[in-house]
Parts: sequence; C-alpha cells; structure tokens
Amino acid sequence: MSAMENADPLSQTHHVDLMLNMGPQHPSTHGVFRMLLRVDGEVVVDAEPHIGYLHRGSEKLAEGEQYHQVVTLFDRMDYISNFNNEWVYCRAVEKLMGIEPPERAEHIRVILGELNRVASHLLFLGTFGLDAGAMTPVMFSFRGRERVQALFEAVSGARMMHNYLHIGGLKEDVPDNFHSLMNGLLSELQADVEECDRLLTFNEVFVARSKNVGAIDLQTALDYGWTGPCIRACGLEYDVRRAEPYSIYPRFDFNIPIARDGDCWDRYFVRVMEMYESLHIIRQALKEMPEGPVMAGARRLIRPPKGDVYVRAENPRGEIGVYLVSDGTDKPYRVKVRPPSFCNLSALRQLVKNAYIADAVVILGSLDIVLGEVDR
Amino acid sequence: MSLLDALLLILALLILFTALSVVVLSLVWIERKFLGRLQRRLGPTRTGPFGLIQPIADAVKLVLKEDLIPSWSDKAIFWVAPLLVLVPSFMIWVTIPAAKNLVLRNLDLGLFVIVALLVVSILGLLLAGWGSANKYGALGGLRSAAQLVSYEVPLVMVVVSVAILVQSLDLRVISASQVPWGAAEPVLNEAREAGANFNHIGLPLVVIFPLGLVLFLLAGLAEVGRIPFDIYFAESEIVGGPFVEYSGAHWSVFFLAEYINTFLVGALAALLFLGGWYGPFLPEWLWFLLKTYLVVILIFWIRGTLPRLRIDQLMTFGWKAMIPLSFAGVVIASLYRFYDWPAWSLSVMSLAILGVVGYWIYRRYTQPVVKLAKIYGHRPRRVSNVS
Amino acid sequence: MLASLKGMVLTLTSVFKRPVTHQYPNQPRPVENRYMGFPALTWDKDVGEPYCTSCMVCIRQCPTQCMSATMKDNPLQKEGKSKRRKIVDTFGINLNRCILCGICVEVCNFDAIVMSHEHEMSVYERNGDRVDLIELLEMGKRYQDKTGWIPPTQLAKAKKEKPAPRKASA
Repeated sequence: MSAMENADPLSQTHHVDLMLNMGPQHPSTHGVFRMLLRVDGEVVVDAEPHIGYLHRGSEKLAEGEQYHQVVTLFDRMDYISNFNNEWVYCRAVEKLMGIEPPERAEHIRVILGELNRVASHLLFLGTFGLDAGAMTPVMFSFRGRERVQALFEAVSGARMMHNYLHIGGLKEDVPDNFHSLMNGLLSELQADVEECDRLLTFNEVFVARSKNVGAIDLQTALDYGWTGPCIRACGLEYDVRRAEPYSIYPRFDFNIPIARDGDCWDRYFVRVMEMYESLHIIRQALKEMPEGPVMAGARRLIRPPKGDVYVRAENPRGEIGVYLVSDGTDKPYRVKVRPPSFCNLSALRQLVKNAYIADAVVILGSLDIVLGEVDR
Repeated sequence: MSLLDALLLILALLILFTALSVVVLSLVWIERKFLGRLQRRLGPTRTGPFGLIQPIADAVKLVLKEDLIPSWSDKAIFWVAPLLVLVPSFMIWVTIPAAKNLVLRNLDLGLFVIVALLVVSILGLLLAGWGSANKYGALGGLRSAAQLVSYEVPLVMVVVSVAILVQSLDLRVISASQVPWGAAEPVLNEAREAGANFNHIGLPLVVIFPLGLVLFLLAGLAEVGRIPFDIYFAESEIVGGPFVEYSGAHWSVFFLAEYINTFLVGALAALLFLGGWYGPFLPEWLWFLLKTYLVVILIFWIRGTLPRLRIDQLMTFGWKAMIPLSFAGVVIASLYRFYDWPAWSLSVMSLAILGVVGYWIYRRYTQPVVKLAKIYGHRPRRVSNVS
Repeated sequence: MLASLKGMVLTLTSVFKRPVTHQYPNQPRPVENRYMGFPALTWDKDVGEPYCTSCMVCIRQCPTQCMSATMKDNPLQKEGKSKRRKIVDTFGINLNRCILCGICVEVCNFDAIVMSHEHEMSVYERNGDRVDLIELLEMGKRYQDKTGWIPPTQLAKAKKEKPAPRKASA
C-alpha cells in the first residue's frame, strides 16, 4: 500500500497496481512456494514465481553417497510419491549395470507404484478441494490415503520414506498376508475414490470455480514441457507407460484418460479417472503375481561400469527423468533429475495472468506441484 | 423512565448478553462436532464429556492470548472496528422475540430496525481491513463491502415480501399470523386492539412462500459470510481477510459477532418462515430454539459440503439471480395479496420459479460437464474378479 | 443443482457412519511388525552381552553419519563365556539426524542393530535425542521382548534347511 500512498490524490490520472506477496507462508501455496502477484483490484496482472525455499541440494548430495544410499534421497525428492521415485532411480542403476529384477519384484513394484499414484492423486483431490474452499474432500480423501499408507507400513516398515526398492529388486519380500491385505484395501480404496468423486466432481460450485479457469492450449503446454496428467488434460495421449513402456506395463490392460480443454477441471478430472485405472492395473498385477525371489543377486557394494544412462518413468505428477553418470566407482558421478513438477510449474506465470486472485490459488493447486521435487 | 426501570433494563441487557454468549458457545461446539461428524471425524473430545467444554477452553485461550497490534496499523480504527461489528449484532437482539413475552423491547417496526442495523457491520469489516495496514486485509475489507452491500438488497426484498404477505413489520405478529390453531390468538388480539390491520395467514410461510425462505437463507449465508459465500474470509486465498492481523481478544470479538449473526439468520428464518416459537407440546422458547438451531445446522451442513464461489461469480449470482428473484418474490406476493388468490397458488408460483432456476443452474453448470465427462470416457471401473 | 444436493446427502450420511479417528495418545495405533522406528542395539541373552562388536559397517554406510562407536576387548571372551573377541564399548546415535532408512540394519553382519518400534521420542533440548549405548540397549531389549525377535541369520539358516523361496539377502 505504500505505493498507493505515494499517488497524489489530486492528480489521479494513473493507478498503481498492488503487489501481493503470496507465500512462502500462505495456506494454499502447497509448501514453500512464493508467488509475487501484481493485482489490479481482484485481477492478477502479472505473477512472479519464486522457488528455491526447499532447496536441499539433493543432486549434489547424491554425488557423495553410495548407490544404495541415493535411494533415500530420491524418497525425499517427491515426498508424495516415494515408491515411484525410488523405482525410477533403481531402474536407472539397473539399466547401467545390465541387471533385470525378478518377475515377482517387478509385480510388487508395479503394485506399490500404482498404489502410490492413487495416494498421490487422493492428496491432490483433497488439497484441490481445499483450494477451492471445500473443507470436506480433504478429510474424505485422506481416509483413503491413510489406508494406502498403512499398507505401505506393513510392507516396507515406513509410511512415507520407505527405502524399500533396492537396486536389483526389493529389500525383502512382501509379508505373507499381502494378498489378503491388498484385497481388503482395494475394495475400500475403490469406495473411497468413488466417494470423493461423488462429492466433488460435478458439484456446481466446484465446476464454476474450476471449469474454463487456467486453460492452456496443447502447443503452449508442449512448449513449456508439460507432462503427465497436465498434458493429458490438454488432449495429448502421452503417457510414458505407453509411449516408452518400462517394467511389465505392456502386459496390463489400462486406458490413458485424456481430456480436451486443458483447464483446471480437466486436470482434476484426468487425475480422478487415473485413480480408477491405477486400481485396475493393481488388480491385474495382483492376480498375475508369481512366486520367486525378489532380488536379482546384486552385490551389496554396487559399482556400475563407466557410462551414463537416461531413464524416464511416469510419476503421478508427470514424466520424471533420471540422468545418471557413473565413473566406475561406488558413488555416482552425477545424478540429474528432470522433475515433472518443475516443468509444469513453469507455465504458472502465463496461466495466472488475467485470472482472479482466487483463480491463482486454484490454478496452482491444479498443477499439483510438490516443492520438494521442484527445488530438490 | 424511573431509576428502577433503567436498572431493570440494564439487568435485562446483561442477561441478553450472557444468553447470547452461551448461545455462541453452544454454536461453536455444535459446529465443531457436526463438521467433525460430517467428515467422519469425532470433533472435540478431549475437554469434558463429548468435548462440551471445548468452546470455553477456546474462549479462555483467545482471551489469554497476546493481543498483537501491528505497528503500521491505524490504531484507532483497529480498535473501533471490532466494536462496530459486535455492537450492532447485539443491538439487533433487543427486538428479537424468543417467545410470546420473551423479548426485551418489541417494536412495531422490528424488521425495519433489524435490516437497518445489519448494514452497520459492513463499516466495521471495511475499517478492520483497511486499518490493519495489510494487503490481504484491505482486499478482504473491500470484498466484504462489495458482498454485503450486494446481498443486502435481496435480503431486504425478501423481508419486504414477507411484510407484504402479513401486512406487518412486527415480528411477534408475523410469527403469530402463521399459526393455524388458536395458540396465537393472544398476540393477535393484542395487535388488533392496538389497531393493527394485518393478515392472518394461518400457515407457516415456508409452505406458501418457499421461494422466500430459499432466497432468505442464501442472502443470509452471504450476510454472515458462510461457505459458499465466505469470500471475504477466504482462508485459502486472502488468509482471513479483514481479520488477518487480529489476534486474541480482538479477534474473538469478531468471532462472537459472526456467530451471533449466524444465529440471527437462523432466528429470523424461524420467525419469518417457520412459524416462530409456536408448536405443539413443547414450551415456546424451546420451539424457538429448536427451529433456530435447525436452520443453523443447515448452514453448518452447507459449509461442510460446498466449495467457495469466486468474487465475480458471487457478484453475478447476487445481481443477476438473487435480486431479480427477490423482486419476483415481491411481485408474486403482491399479486397474491392484491387479488386474494388461494394460498396454494403462491406456493405453486414459488416452486415453479425455484424449479426453473434450479433447472437453469443444472443446464448452465452441471449438464455441460456431465456431457464432457461422457466424451472423456468417465466410467469408474467396478471391483471385479479380485484374485 | 443435482450434484450439490447429492454431495450434501453424502456428507449427511457420513454423520451416521462410524468415525475413523484414532484417539491417539489414549489408543495408540498399533504399529506393523515391520515398522521402522529408531535404530536400537540388540542384547544377546544367552551370553549376556550386546551382539554389536563395533565393526563400524553401519557407521560407514549411514547416509547421514548419525552414529559413532568405539570397541574394546571382550572381557567375557577371556572368561570363555563368549565367542566375540571384540565388543562394543561406546555407541552413540543422534536420533535427530537419523532418517530411519534402515540401511544400518541391512548391512549389519552380526544381527546387532534393529529398527525398533520406538517413535515417540520428542524432547525439549535441541540435541536431546542423542542416545548412548545403555539407552540403545534398553530400546533394543524392549523391542526384543515385544516382538519375540529372532536373529535374522538364525532365521535365514532355518529357511535354508527347508527349501523355501529365496529371500532378499540383506
């Protein structure tokens, strides 16, 4: 308001925009993200995103850790979808070393990764509802997320930072009652997802808040490097699980949900449909899960040959890529991550221009960023 | 006025203040518990049986908390603003009858006074937002001014249509005239002796004029800033709006006013549309409380379900839907009164208008999205053949 | 309007369903068997000494370097009661730095360290969660009593005798 005071009231020939500082301690900036909004009344004229408040130097830290220790760093990068992150790193090292994880391990990885996708999207659904002003979806969706995390605890011993996927397989086999646990979980989770879906998806107020808000056309989105549900909401059927199949995904029958308009409601909707697809994949994987070992005899001291490798995977937030350079020692020479959240976030400035302040919050929520991954 | 009268009046005011504070405490508990149950939580449990002492704990915590005043704020305005919000909301209650004879000062123009006093709180919110020298606060204050002024109009028009129907602005008469059986005769006779020329409808107004109740509740929600109209608090956007810099006792004053106003909306809905304190078997004050709490719980229920509108949508809804509809309400009420049509005709007209509006909202907002969802191929996969 | 009303019915029906809340401090949520709490050292009841010989593997493999240890000659070995020539003298873990990854347990060759079920360990001081050997052994004993812990190497030996699917070699 200091800028306003400077304006001479007698010569009101110009007006001064209000600089509104949103974050890093704002309830709906999803972590420690800071947006400097230039607002004209209620309309955002310009926005300046500031990132880096959660920078922990994960990539540099990885250079000082041994290969099996780096998994813990990947756990903490995108802390909403830990299994997916561990998985892509393990795949990178496995590709470099030329080892194939056993069948059973692959199935368990798929199950856990897809479960994590459901949990991540449930979190998105709740917080997106919260951004739009509804307080119940978050309570409903966390119930489902809690169930998934309880299963993760039973399997890996930790609710979030698992360190369960190891290079060459898994740390240990799943518990003996895994199938009964999963069967119970799946039906409950399906009910939870449907409940959240019923509560929010077609709600008139919610539709009014999110439809035709923050729309982006496909070409611009591609130019920004969007991936994942965000690009699928723009109408492009691009999913790494289909485009460059990895692990055992080609064996499963699943759809890639796409939308058309690329606005906030579409991004939300694609994620809701993905949850159903993920549950479908889990059911198939559970049915086909073979017996056998879960570790492909990798030695404890992992020393991949000299070389580099780039591996990508479909995370809940989009395409994550890991570029790994090995110099033949027991520590990686360089680990570079291509984080989906960061690329999706880069379009924020364009999206919030000429939107309302309330829209800025919803748009940021619809991108579903995780600051741990943006800042690394 | 003798000294005794003055003392009695002060005593009565104190009792009113205490009663309202107790009501606010109960509302806080009900809201927390009910919201908890809506979300399959337990709500407060730690303090007392069923967490009954929770609101008292809240109040103690609020009063004991450090009262921060930002150094840049305009101190005088910062201090005055909470009072400007609280005092009118108390003053309104002077003329609200909670039972036949349970009213501090029944006024012949009771509704008029209420509507007049409701507007004052806008000033308080605006000053609170501006005086706290905070950009979020300023935005919230301006939002509250825009919102409350806009929704004042439909609220007044609904009240006007009720006044047209009953031909009175006296809340006791309005309530009494909705009672089909003889219980209301004492009040009505009293009014007749005083020379009032009102219309004894003999049915709760919600039956013959549902449009009015719906509009009143929507406008009331906006007046007290409850979801889906809590634009000026907007926790996730402007972090509490005008209250962002307030803490401790100052904030609790706003809080008190907000809950008293919520209760007021419930009470007015009960008095204007649900037949006031009249009902079989139970004592009068209990019926009044029951009806009021029912409406308040409905407000909490809406809060537990719906998201928040955006400011432009709120204004659009207010000016393009609420105000025309409230004028339509006035028109059909006047037609009904003027031509002495049977009571059912008014309810049919109300329901028809409501139906058309509901269908329009469905066409405008739901149907396109449902169609789109079909195009996108939304079909939840069912649980099948789990191994 | 329909979807909003459906949502309201949904929330109202939730009122009559059972809440999912755990009354946490009164009703602690049971942790799973595999739960990874803070690391603790195990106690060899047969001999009456810790399993740990302070071989420093866990300390070198810890991603956050939160542990330290020193070793000494084992007095029980001289008396012929124990096979361990060296035994742990001091052992310290700064639990505030520990990230509960479980790598120390995987690399340990002597079944000496476990991820216990302890997790309620908040303290008032900044470095109040530094634990020494005595506390670590206390935690370990609690864990052993609670779960009926069998050393993983014994478990693996038992598994090897009867043919079963090969487990992950830790």
